[in-house]
Amino acid sequence: MAGLKIGIHRRNIFRRLGIFLMILGPGIITGSVDNDAGGITTYSVAGALYGYGLIWTLIPSFIVLVVIQEMNARMGIVTGKGLADLIRENAGIKITFLIFIGLLFSGIGNTTTEFAGVAGSMEVFGVSKYISVPIVAILVWVLVVKGTYKIAERIFLIFSISLLTYVVSAIMGKPDWESIGSAIIHPRMELSTRSMTMVIALVGTTIAPWMQFYMQSSVIEKGLKMKNFKYTMADIIVGCIITVVVAFFIMVACASTLHPNGIVINEAKDAALALKPLAGNLASQVFAFGLFIASIFSATILPLATAFFVCEAFGFEAGLDKKWDEAREFYILYTGILVISAIIILLPNAPLIQISIWSQVINGILLPVVLISMMILINNTKIMGTHVNGRATNIIGWSAVVVLVGLSAALLILPVLRL
Amino acid sequence: MTSLTTFYLSGILGKEAFGSDGDAIGKIKDLLVSAVPSGQNDPGQQLITGVKLRIDGVTKFYSFNPFRVSKAREMINVTCTGLIELSREEVDNGLLLDENILDKQIVDLNGRKLVRVNDVRLATLPAGTFAVAVDIGIEGLLRRIGIAAPIKRVLSLFKISIPARFILWDDVQAIDFSNLNIKLSKSYAKLHMLHPSDLADILEDLGKKSSASVFSALDEEKAADVLEELETDAQVHIVESLPVGKVADVFEKMPADEVADILDELEDDKAELLLKEMEAESSQEVRELLEYDDNLVGSIMTTDYLSFSGSNTVEEVLRELRLKKPESAELYNMFVTGKDDRLAGTFNLRDLVVSEPDKKISAIMKSEPVSLYDDQKTTAIAELVSKYNLLAVPVIDRNEQLQGMVVVDDVVEDLISERRTRKRK
Repeated sequence: MAGLKIGIHRRNIFRRLGIFLMILGPGIITGSVDNDAGGITTYSVAGALYGYGLIWTLIPSFIVLVVIQEMNARMGIVTGKGLADLIRENAGIKITFLIFIGLLFSGIGNTTTEFAGVAGSMEVFGVSKYISVPIVAILVWVLVVKGTYKIAERIFLIFSISLLTYVVSAIMGKPDWESIGSAIIHPRMELSTRSMTMVIALVGTTIAPWMQFYMQSSVIEKGLKMKNFKYTMADIIVGCIITVVVAFFIMVACASTLHPNGIVINEAKDAALALKPLAGNLASQVFAFGLFIASIFSATILPLATAFFVCEAFGFEAGLDKKWDEAREFYILYTGILVISAIIILLPNAPLIQISIWSQVINGILLPVVLISMMILINNTKIMGTHVNGRATNIIGWSAVVVLVGLSAALLILPVLRL
Repeated sequence: MTSLTTFYLSGILGKEAFGSDGDAIGKIKDLLVSAVPSGQNDPGQQLITGVKLRIDGVTKFYSFNPFRVSKAREMINVTCTGLIELSREEVDNGLLLDENILDKQIVDLNGRKLVRVNDVRLATLPAGTFAVAVDIGIEGLLRRIGIAAPIKRVLSLFKISIPARFILWDDVQAIDFSNLNIKLSKSYAKLHMLHPSDLADILEDLGKKSSASVFSALDEEKAADVLEELETDAQVHIVESLPVGKVADVFEKMPADEVADILDELEDDKAELLLKEMEAESSQEVRELLEYDDNLVGSIMTTDYLSFSGSNTVEEVLRELRLKKPESAELYNMFVTGKDDRLAGTFNLRDLVVSEPDKKISAIMKSEPVSLYDDQKTTAIAELVSKYNLLAVPVIDRNEQLQGMVVVDDVVEDLISERRTRKRK
């Protein structure tokens, strides 16, 4: 009775703001969160190190991203169950445990990277990390726990338009469009540990494992239906385009300025600082501002999502509408991830680069495991009925699994071969 | 050997069963327990009746009667004195502990919520083996992964114990019967004890398949109450996944305004189909309500109200109420109508109770009552309700004819959200 009235209200607003809200679908939110501090760092480093050389990886990443998110949306709509639920019910407890311990560690690692992004970007504006990180951590915690998370999500989403500032940064660096074009048409990859690691990191940050869980849950929460699937599909494609376009311009910005001058960077902050003498103060600050917004946005969503999925898989009560006593495990996990990540950043001489590499390695190992689970689930007629995968989706999905497993395996074997 | 042996499902799955001569017979894949509760606290519903055994690569169901489970030095031994194959029907009437319970969501009837099962605790008594409780705690989780013992040992050094959480078998209801052919209505029998709004919360948390099958197992009265309490998305899903006939039957048991709200969310074809399937009288009321715009009073008023003539006596009205047994919302405010169904006054239960039986209603009613017009904006309701402290407000059309009433239950959410937004300003 009660919920119904709210529902109708929501529909009223929905009709009025129709187009506006349609654009802000789950796919677009997921796509925006995807360009987090870790992503910006990886794209910057790849651009600085390899110039335009690795831009081509964005094309296969885009295709795989669309295919994976389409599968998540379809699973969510058909079953009404989260990916964590489905994995727990069908894959057995041991695999579930491995996946979610991995997800928890990568969640902490990624959140640490977000705080590194906050610290780094504010340092460009001359604010010490001992001030910016605690303030942002407390702000994020209060924002989420005091129940304004949904509003926060919307605000950040509007802010994330500022990611388009990377287009400005890139153009100010006067890129060589001709060589960008030819680099994309003639993809190359040297067979070295360093470039393999870079490619895995690029794919891993573009297709982060936790996003699959996030996408599926948002679809359920939005109450989407199979008969409107073409709108969902449009939303997914737009979201993936945003991800890839932003990634493209970050790589171009660093490739056209830092690479020719042989400047090596380890962090996104370095990119912002290095841009200063080459492309001007404004380009540098614009770059840092984009990083700051992206970091807070993801630092809001990541710990929350991670805590939620771990609880879902292990059957603990979860959700912001529950009180502390009802969902103790959930709040402890959420707060724990935030606190641990913030503390790691504040430690003097914290091994930030190692943490960032390790969380990407965990992502890289986790991704094929999650993907294989998804492929098995979505081809199970008991779960999906008539909505199992078509042949094209299966081919792309399994090829992605093979390539990812191959890349990870190569990364492990290469150092051994070159002893 | 003691007369009572307790063990966990995770400890027996995959174990080899041994014959009386000590030879291995086959691997235990699953245990079968009766799925149809024969009554509360009946030990029969907890009895393990069958076992899924894998013998030389072939899996079949056998009676658990000849099987005994014993424990020696923390090791579980399963012995068997004979193999009696179960009939298809016996298997179909059972619930499989591994397939339907373990790792699945079940309803905790006392906590009135969904929980996930980490393990099942069983006990062997002289009378047989019984499912005693489901384990939903962290300890069960760690035991399944195989790291409970070492972690416990480490924690015991710090005098910390891992909390164990069990729910008695009597207090749980399995949800996932997708593999069985049993009669659903019987197998969900325990859910009838739950309050409709608790049931609605549980349905919203369930997957789409399970929520539809649990809902279709409810009787029409309960189903109507639950459907009213569901969120819009869930309502639409339920209505679209059940047969039209069943939905129409449920709709007839619901207040017309609630039905109209649901139909508003459906596609026109589907709504028309349902209206045609409903009895003419009920569907007519709904159709009238559907004419109103979303933001008008008419769209949220109920047409289930009580009206009497002013010449009735208190005694007569009370007698009629006893006969009709109306819903409590209808008693919030009762109406007196004159010529042409025009609203003449209102009275409530208190007025009736404190008056002499032979008094005329016209003498106890409040004349010139507060009312709303059916084409007034819904925003007018909040002010009226809070100003006059009304539980239900009569709704009239521009000819002063009584059309229905707005009940406070239906607008309370709006009132709360309105106050919140006002505060924020």
